[in-house]
Amino acid sequence: MSIFLASVGFGLITSAVLAIAAIGFTLQFGVTDVLNLAFAAVMTAGAFVAYWLNQSGVSVWIGLVAAMAACSLLSVLLNLVVYTPFQRRGSSPITLVIVSLGMALIIEFGIEAQVGGIDVSYSLGQGRTFQAGGLVLTTVQLVIIGISVAVMAGVHVMLRYSRLGKAMRATAANRTLARNCGIRTSRVIALTWALTGALCGLAGTVFAIDIGSFGPTSSDLFLVLILAAVFLGGPGHAYGAMLGAAVIGIATEVSAAFITPDYKYVIAFVALLAMLAVRPTGLLGARA
Amino acid sequence: MYYVINLLVYGAVDAMACLGLSQQFGIAGVTNFGFIIFQAVGAYTAAILSMPPDTANGGFQSYLGGWSLPFPLPWIGAAAAGALLALPFTFLVGRRLRGDFAAVGLLVTAVLVNLLVTDYRPLLNGDAGLAIVPSPLQGEFSPTSTGYQWAYVAAAVALAGGVYWFVRRITESPYGRTLRAMRDNDRIADSIGKNLLSLRTGMLVAGGAIAGLSGGVLVGFINTWSPAAWTYAETIVLFAAVIIGGLGNHRGAVLGAVLVPLAFEEGSRFIPNSQNLPPNLIPSLQWVAIGLLIVAFLWLRPQGLLPERKRVIAVPARSAAEPPASRPAEPAVSRPIAAAAGHADVLQAVDVSRDFGGVHAVSGVSLAVRRGTLTGLIGPNGAGKSTLLALLAGTDRPSAGKILYQGQDISGMPAFRRARIGLIRTFQLASEFKRLTVLENLLTAAPGNRGDSFRGAVAGRRYWRGDESAAISRAEAVLGRFGLTDLANSYAGDLSGGQRRLVEIMRALMAEPAVLLLDEPMAGVHPELARRIGTALTGLCSEGMTILMVEHELAIMDEFCDPVVVMAEGSVLAQGTMAELRERAEVVEAYLVG
Amino acid sequence: MSAELALRGAALRAAGVTAGYGGDPVIHAVSVRADPREVVSIVGPNGSGKSTLLKSLVGVLRVSAGTVMIGDRDVTNLPPEEVARAGVGYVPQVDDVFAPLTVRENLEMGGYLLPRKEVAAHVEQVVTIFPRLGAMLGRHAGKLSGGERKMLAMGRVLMLAPAVFLLDEPTANLAPAIARSLLNEHVRRLAEGGATVLLVEQRAKAALAISDRAYVLGGGRLQLAGTPAELAASPEFVRSFLGGGRLV
Repeated sequence: MSIFLASVGFGLITSAVLAIAAIGFTLQFGVTDVLNLAFAAVMTAGAFVAYWLNQSGVSVWIGLVAAMAACSLLSVLLNLVVYTPFQRRGSSPITLVIVSLGMALIIEFGIEAQVGGIDVSYSLGQGRTFQAGGLVLTTVQLVIIGISVAVMAGVHVMLRYSRLGKAMRATAANRTLARNCGIRTSRVIALTWALTGALCGLAGTVFAIDIGSFGPTSSDLFLVLILAAVFLGGPGHAYGAMLGAAVIGIATEVSAAFITPDYKYVIAFVALLAMLAVRPTGLLGARA
Repeated sequence: MYYVINLLVYGAVDAMACLGLSQQFGIAGVTNFGFIIFQAVGAYTAAILSMPPDTANGGFQSYLGGWSLPFPLPWIGAAAAGALLALPFTFLVGRRLRGDFAAVGLLVTAVLVNLLVTDYRPLLNGDAGLAIVPSPLQGEFSPTSTGYQWAYVAAAVALAGGVYWFVRRITESPYGRTLRAMRDNDRIADSIGKNLLSLRTGMLVAGGAIAGLSGGVLVGFINTWSPAAWTYAETIVLFAAVIIGGLGNHRGAVLGAVLVPLAFEEGSRFIPNSQNLPPNLIPSLQWVAIGLLIVAFLWLRPQGLLPERKRVIAVPARSAAEPPASRPAEPAVSRPIAAAAGHADVLQAVDVSRDFGGVHAVSGVSLAVRRGTLTGLIGPNGAGKSTLLALLAGTDRPSAGKILYQGQDISGMPAFRRARIGLIRTFQLASEFKRLTVLENLLTAAPGNRGDSFRGAVAGRRYWRGDESAAISRAEAVLGRFGLTDLANSYAGDLSGGQRRLVEIMRALMAEPAVLLLDEPMAGVHPELARRIGTALTGLCSEGMTILMVEHELAIMDEFCDPVVVMAEGSVLAQGTMAELRERAEVVEAYLVG
Repeated sequence: MSAELALRGAALRAAGVTAGYGGDPVIHAVSVRADPREVVSIVGPNGSGKSTLLKSLVGVLRVSAGTVMIGDRDVTNLPPEEVARAGVGYVPQVDDVFAPLTVRENLEMGGYLLPRKEVAAHVEQVVTIFPRLGAMLGRHAGKLSGGERKMLAMGRVLMLAPAVFLLDEPTANLAPAIARSLLNEHVRRLAEGGATVLLVEQRAKAALAISDRAYVLGGGRLQLAGTPAELAASPEFVRSFLGGGRLV
């Protein structure tokens, strides 16, 4: 039982980090129709901004805020300078995906050119350890889970009740009609990328905190988890991303504990491929 | 010396891989982000086929198999493994999934497989990979001797040449044309009867075999293979190569192979090694450069350095001024319509209805189309014309009533089968293959071309030359009938809107219909061109074809159609010549009320 | 209704408008006008360019020649969101609601430009005009029937009480009884309430029945103009719908 609870504990952390990232990714797709495979690279950029500040003596938690700002800006630029021109030209979705892979290479290996291939970590105390039954979590882990819950609640409130959130949903549903309602969709899209970019920076930093030691290419594997969570819940649906993150996060850790740790990601990948084969719009998406 | 040999072998291997990808992605539009795992499976297969069991050499490696098979079995096995690996992925490339989603699925698979192999050591020795992989024939010859090395180069280059020959054979066949059509617009290719799943599976298998072979050749040379050699990033390098070299051009793929993987690999040797630079700087910058090149080329020169060539088919010069109807055209209806047992009413709707959840799109319609007539079907919006056409064509099934074709009840027959017995329809929306020439557009719809299959393509020109010539003749005849011979070798995407509508009609004619159902063929067409179309259609009817045409342009009904059927609110209102119909109050009423 | 949603119309003037979808223009030098308290219809056979005209007026399509004025403001080629802010409410023929959003959220989107506090009040007013919507506020717009969707689409534009209503074939795909009711009860009342209404319709007779003036479009050009009485009396009117000559 305690193994199960321990693995659930790990799963909660993974789900927490994954949720933040998946929500960001899926909203980018929902509003712009671009599968931004450079998302993990931007996460890495955020993690390193926090790292460089941390090296100068700044607390990681402040560095986290800086990471959010930096990634927000980077994401807005990415959409404005790269994706939008290609879309305006009528490029196919697959071209956009290849472009996003190219951008991922530029960002990720641009960072690696700076820092070399060695893994680094933050100077950060893990705090006390809390036990509840078999569940074991440190202060830092609890903080991360708390941040994730706050993000989910915040996104929910924003989408449901705020003017911007509704404008985002309208833009994602029918861009022309949104414009006919007076919504300045280009502004809404820029704001969406700014917000999801901040989520991306946040996700990158907590990811780096969680795995302890990280390098420029550490997030590559995580991108696949993000994709699994996004497609499980339905691309473009924020609540689907939350659901997907919960399922993927916990399932991978529990399977690691019970089946074998070597293949803990297999579940995620199998889930993704199965969804693509059977129901590409995801669990919460509309029937195709 | 060894440097040059290294260069040539790597070059040949990269060229093979790029040619495989060029065939899959450049020609057929299958975006296989997992391409590298096919090369990997080939390398691993060649390795475990040629290596001794893993207990040998002190048992420091752990892997499957180990059958010490002699050359050339490992290389054959490599290609076979690559081909077989394609089969499980066919579910991702059927027609239901968006292209970018499918690509993501393949990318994820590549990462997963790499992870599995890295983590599960008993499979293929995990992260360390396989070492001491035998070179081919290393029992008989010394692999380190210069002669052997040059022989290896020769073999690799020869195989690369063979792959080039093979992919060109496939691409320059009617099958290759179908692949390009699918790449251009898979929805339309599907609607003219091409089996997307089978085409894409074929491409995955062929590309997989080529990639596998390239892996086998490489592993025999470098005698080692580990997961680091085939991360998903390697696939991106190959994509960059094909994009830069030129999509859809196999020579471009070879050029790309030389410029990208090779140049990057070798170019870094020449950069001076400085102690001050961070150790990973050069490789990192290489990756940054590849990313930049991908984005730059896709923006500035998406066609690549060597763009895809236009396939020009020599058409005997005909004077464009010759009035089309005066030339004795080949009979467009070569399919015999049994005249003796023939029904005068070749197509009938008997009390047909179609409901959409409470809305009666078509209710109780009975209609008989006589052989050899050009019948018009008109009516205001929402009258049910398009629905009725869909019911007659088989793209929709009636809720009640029967459809008869030559007296036979075909109500349950799906559209593609009706097409085979001569009942063919066109669609309202633009549906041409923009990057194929007009002639190629027509040829894609020619039925019964033996070259339009994988086997046929491989069998070569001699096998399908006859069918192709016959199809070209027929296409030229159709073009001539509509007076568009001049446009035969223009890209369909460069035509005006009206001309593109014509391409669709002509393509329908290539399938040798006995009954042709046209859905608004004159929409957006210049009056002069419309008249030319009308004249050509009349000519076809006088030769025995039957045509039913939905149209809004009533002047066309005046000039060409008899009889004309008016529908309104789901039922047939009246039938007669246009002039007669104009006199009838209920027709006028229907049009004005709407 | 008119007492609650105070509608103040503005004059619409389109002069010499030429527009298309990028290639050849679909409409040539079309001039129409509509004043407050008027219902003006644009009728014509299919393919005559009616929808294209409306789309070019609201900024969805590019105008290559000519001007569009709302009141004394030049809105030619402004992006759709600015045209909406200039007081134009546009109901497209298709894709006229936000399918994944609920009925209430659709209405709220219609009221996007309103100050926050007034949104709920406007929703109430729209529900008074379309009581059926009131019963379905929580339902997703994608699940509505054709008639209900049109009501929602009209309700959405009503939220802002625009000065000018542009309606693209509002009765398309509606059963005749519902179509007549939509035109007579709702569209006519908009003008009676003070707004300017420009209406594109295939059902020529039904549209003329509620219009003060009408234009007939054919082949992308203006063929006829006048009051319903004048047009009904003109033999050209019928001919422009049913053809009657040879191809040009």
